[in-house]
Amino acid sequence: ELDFTTGDAGASFTYPMQCSALRKNGFVVLKGRPCKIVEMSTSKTGKHGHAKVHLVGIDIFTGKKYEDICPSTHNMDVPNIKRNDYQLIGIQDGYLSLLTESGEVREDLKLPEGDLGKEIEGKFNANEDVQISVISAMNEECAVAIKPCK
Amino acid sequence: MMAAAAAAGGAPEVIAQLENAAKVLMAPPSMVNNEQRQHAEHIFLSFRKSKSPFAVCKHILETSKVDYVLFQAATAIMEAVVREWILLEKTSIESLRTFLLTYVLQRPNLQKYVREQILLAVAVIVKRGSLDKSIDCKSIFHEVSQLISSGNPTVPTESWRETLLDSRVMELFFTVHRKIREDTDMAQDSLQCLAQLASLHGPVFPDEGSQVDYLAHFIEGLLNTINGIEIEDSEAVGISSIISNLITVFPRNILTAIPNELFSSFVNCLAHLTCSFGRSAALEEVLDKDDMVYMEAYDKLLESWLTLVQDDKHFHKGFFTQHAVQVFNSYIQCHLAAPDGTRNLTANGVASREEEEISELQEDDRDQFCDQLASVGMLGRIAAEHCIPLLTSLLEDRVTRLHGQLQRHQQQLLASPASGSIDNKVLDDLYEDIHWLILVTGYLLANDTQGETPLIPPEVMEYSIKHSAEVDINTTLQILGSPGEKASSIPGYNRTDSVIRLLSAILRVSEVESRAIRANLTHLLSPQMGKDIVWFLKRWAKTYLLVDEKLYDQISLPFSTAFGADTEGSQWIVGYLLEKVISNLAVWSSEQDLANDTVQLLVTLVERRERANLVIQCENWWNLAKQFARRSPPLHYLSSSVQRTLMKALVLGGFAHMDTETKQQYWTEVLQPLQQRFLNVINQENFQQICQEEEVKQEITATLEALCGIAEATQIDNVAILFNFLMDFLNNCIGLMEVYKNTPETVNLIIEVFVEVAHKQICYLGEAKAMNLYEACLTLLQVYSKNNLGRQRIDVTAEEDQYQDLLLIMELLTNLLSKEFIDFSDTDEVFRGHEPGQATNRSVSAADVVLYGVNLVLPLMSQDLLKFPSLCNQYYKLITFICEIFPEKIPQLPEDLFKSLMYSLELGMSSMSSEVCQLCLEAVTPLAEQCAKAQETDSTLFLATRHFLKMVFDMLVLQKHNTEMTTAAGEAFYTLVCLHQAEYSELVETLLSTQQDPVIYQRLADAFNKLTASSTPPTLDRKQKMAFLKSLEEFMANVGGLLCVK
Repeated sequence: ELDFTTGDAGASFTYPMQCSALRKNGFVVLKGRPCKIVEMSTSKTGKHGHAKVHLVGIDIFTGKKYEDICPSTHNMDVPNIKRNDYQLIGIQDGYLSLLTESGEVREDLKLPEGDLGKEIEGKFNANEDVQISVISAMNEECAVAIKPCK
Repeated sequence: MMAAAAAAGGAPEVIAQLENAAKVLMAPPSMVNNEQRQHAEHIFLSFRKSKSPFAVCKHILETSKVDYVLFQAATAIMEAVVREWILLEKTSIESLRTFLLTYVLQRPNLQKYVREQILLAVAVIVKRGSLDKSIDCKSIFHEVSQLISSGNPTVPTESWRETLLDSRVMELFFTVHRKIREDTDMAQDSLQCLAQLASLHGPVFPDEGSQVDYLAHFIEGLLNTINGIEIEDSEAVGISSIISNLITVFPRNILTAIPNELFSSFVNCLAHLTCSFGRSAALEEVLDKDDMVYMEAYDKLLESWLTLVQDDKHFHKGFFTQHAVQVFNSYIQCHLAAPDGTRNLTANGVASREEEEISELQEDDRDQFCDQLASVGMLGRIAAEHCIPLLTSLLEDRVTRLHGQLQRHQQQLLASPASGSIDNKVLDDLYEDIHWLILVTGYLLANDTQGETPLIPPEVMEYSIKHSAEVDINTTLQILGSPGEKASSIPGYNRTDSVIRLLSAILRVSEVESRAIRANLTHLLSPQMGKDIVWFLKRWAKTYLLVDEKLYDQISLPFSTAFGADTEGSQWIVGYLLEKVISNLAVWSSEQDLANDTVQLLVTLVERRERANLVIQCENWWNLAKQFARRSPPLHYLSSSVQRTLMKALVLGGFAHMDTETKQQYWTEVLQPLQQRFLNVINQENFQQICQEEEVKQEITATLEALCGIAEATQIDNVAILFNFLMDFLNNCIGLMEVYKNTPETVNLIIEVFVEVAHKQICYLGEAKAMNLYEACLTLLQVYSKNNLGRQRIDVTAEEDQYQDLLLIMELLTNLLSKEFIDFSDTDEVFRGHEPGQATNRSVSAADVVLYGVNLVLPLMSQDLLKFPSLCNQYYKLITFICEIFPEKIPQLPEDLFKSLMYSLELGMSSMSSEVCQLCLEAVTPLAEQCAKAQETDSTLFLATRHFLKMVFDMLVLQKHNTEMTTAAGEAFYTLVCLHQAEYSELVETLLSTQQDPVIYQRLADAFNKLTASSTPPTLDRKQKMAFLKSLEEFMANVGGLLCVK
């Protein structure tokens, strides 16, 4: 039986899953990277052969594309993906100051580069209250979305 | 520029320019740059648009030596003829056509693509002429070319009688073919002419006698032509079309009235050709040819057999039996490996075998060859005496060999476990043999059906009845009930019912498979064969299991004893099939297709109550249900779609007949754990904190998947229970939507649950229940929109995620809207007894909900998202639905929403696919009608329709458009013209005023006058509208393109 009361401690980064049970829009580790599955198809060698699964995934942090092909009976690693929303309370030296639900402040997350980063800075400088969505998997973390609080 | 040059008679310059341009276009990419290429293309484009290019083109055809330029000249002629048709004298058209034909005939060495383009121009001229009925039917050649340009059965008028019924004419065609048959291209044309003559019917025949004479003559000519010759590859399709036309077009009484001997020769010839084409088709497959001419020819002939043998009024029983045996045997032979068959043998007897990669997109043989298999199955039935025992013995033989082969492999593995490489050639050959034998058996014993109860084919029933006196029932049951034993080891095995023995041969295949699995040889088995087995069992069970005696005049005693209601036999088979299903789901979870076919077999077993009653008596069934509810291996390895179907089957089983206590217990085992686990998770105090834990997410996902499966199980007699059960979940799901707002895959799955529930249940819901569902959907959309408006995402799959959400939301809204035209509910009839008379006086319609929904999601749609074709189509389908069903609601929409809708329609008509354009035109018509009804000339909708008038006018008159759209465009156009008569006149005046050429001006003015002549003043009257649409067709033919001239 699963126990839902334990917290994060000891949780592993990935868990195994039979290839056939993976699903499009799900996640998988390809070449050591956590990926979102964007394409999944099967093929076989000869009419009486056994199925092989062809996976195409996009690295959830870098956007890089990875592919893999393996027998459908094989187990693949699936990354544990977590998403958290935090309230933005400051920006310092290129790092975000975020307020967690439990009232703690974390300051270890980088201000993302590019448009989203500019958007966050803009909103912050204009004194708008915003929520930042952060995705984390396999010991890596990244801010991916911003939404004004009302 | 080009036109001016041509008019000035500068033909040589034009030719030089075109030839240079052709050189550029034909040059290798390294020799010319993009700009040069575009310039060259432009030269040809403007050349083809030049006014009256006929003289120049003739000159080009006669003098230029550059094929590509000749090709372009032919194209220019073709386009100009259509464009300027009404400006041209009939005689000049006639001479142009003669010129082109003579040109081709006198130049046998023309490049093929040039010749085809010129002939296409001729065909277009002929076809355009047929619109005016101005064609002068003088020569037979003319008619023939017309015949070639169309593919329909030939229905000439009486005036053709003398020519076509003249046997010398027909003979002429056969003679021509004999003379030219070695020339591939010409042979195809002459066979096409003959195929047209083979489909002659209609008033050309004065009476049946003349039809019989004609047919007899024709068949004689045909047999004389093909008997004793070796048929060329290029003749196969043509000859089979001739035969297929004869058999489908000529009525049976005519066919049987020709001299007996001739008819027999014809049928013999057909049988011979069928077998021969079948063998050649098999060779084509071995050689992996691109152009499968024999396969096409074989398909046509097999289909002809199906037409022929299904008629038992004109042919006595057994008339075709020998032929059926012949064709059936040859089919089997081509599909079996040597020595029994010739599969994979090349013409010189060498076996070829290659292991190619097969993608999931490749259709299964049972679908790809379903027509062939249906014909062969039918032939097998009419020759049941021969074919059923044949299939049985071939299958039993392979079962024994497969068993032996697997045993040898096992011993080898035990002896030297490391020796990985075992040659699987023998096994693969056996699998392929069994594969085809199962497919043919499946098609022989049962029919494909959609929806209704399939019946045992009468030939099979009669065959079993005929022999039932010689049959020992007990031995038959023994053969059936002992799939682990060799059939021939059972004493008295030859006195068993042959049909049951054939079924039991397949059960024996299945048993060998099961035993190999138990012996850990799964890796040696063929998933394809596993699929074939469950596919067959499903097909068989639908037709034979618990055979309903009321549906038949006569029933075979062996059948009713072995598979009838309340028999030990049927209980045993149900148990056996269930065991197979459970074993497959455990072993083959990695083979998606096989798992899917397996779970479909399970659905077949429970979807009819009689069968479900037997299923739930099996302990295994309860174990399966409990195991699935526990979400433990191996069932949770199955793919999500298989799990959903499994859930569906488990729910369907719950509606079998059980006493109250048992039923209570069943639901406690199946549905309650789902609810309990779900509530345990979401009601935890710290759910918000732990919701991102992997275990929690998995639990939620599994629940949502199961809900989709439960919705799929909806039937009219269980909707009351299922709806109430699901409704509790839906309300909780809205809460989940909030908790998981930043988890796109969960959000997506939640919406999908709503889509499925609406899809399966809305049509059964009465007002009060429908209202509950509408409200739940609305709240869902509100939460979705609140969480997504203003949210900016940069993660890599943001756009894809949003696309999928919106697609589902559009589907949801379309499903809700479908209530307006598919409604099986009887004011909560199906809920009576559950909730007594909960009357409601709210009157919110689906329209209100859907429009509100559209209003919520429209701001989330962007032009970028419309680039996803499926989302774009779903969106336009939805808004067209709304306009068609509730045009009166459109003017009352909030301003922003109204503007967005109108803008969407405009966008759809101007810059989307033709499918979307058609949808928009269909949406505009009811909107314009609504305006006409309301008579408010200052409403925003009225103003919008005025703009649409201009758009549709331009589309029809000034732009090239898809002719398939003319009807939709025409209807919209007419309605808009009625609404805005003054603006329409203005549009016409403006257009005319820009015409410089007085001839064109006059023709255009005439055409516009004629267009509205029958409907002045235009009113929204059906008759007038039809008249207008008819005139529009003519108008389009005359004017369409005329105004595109530069």
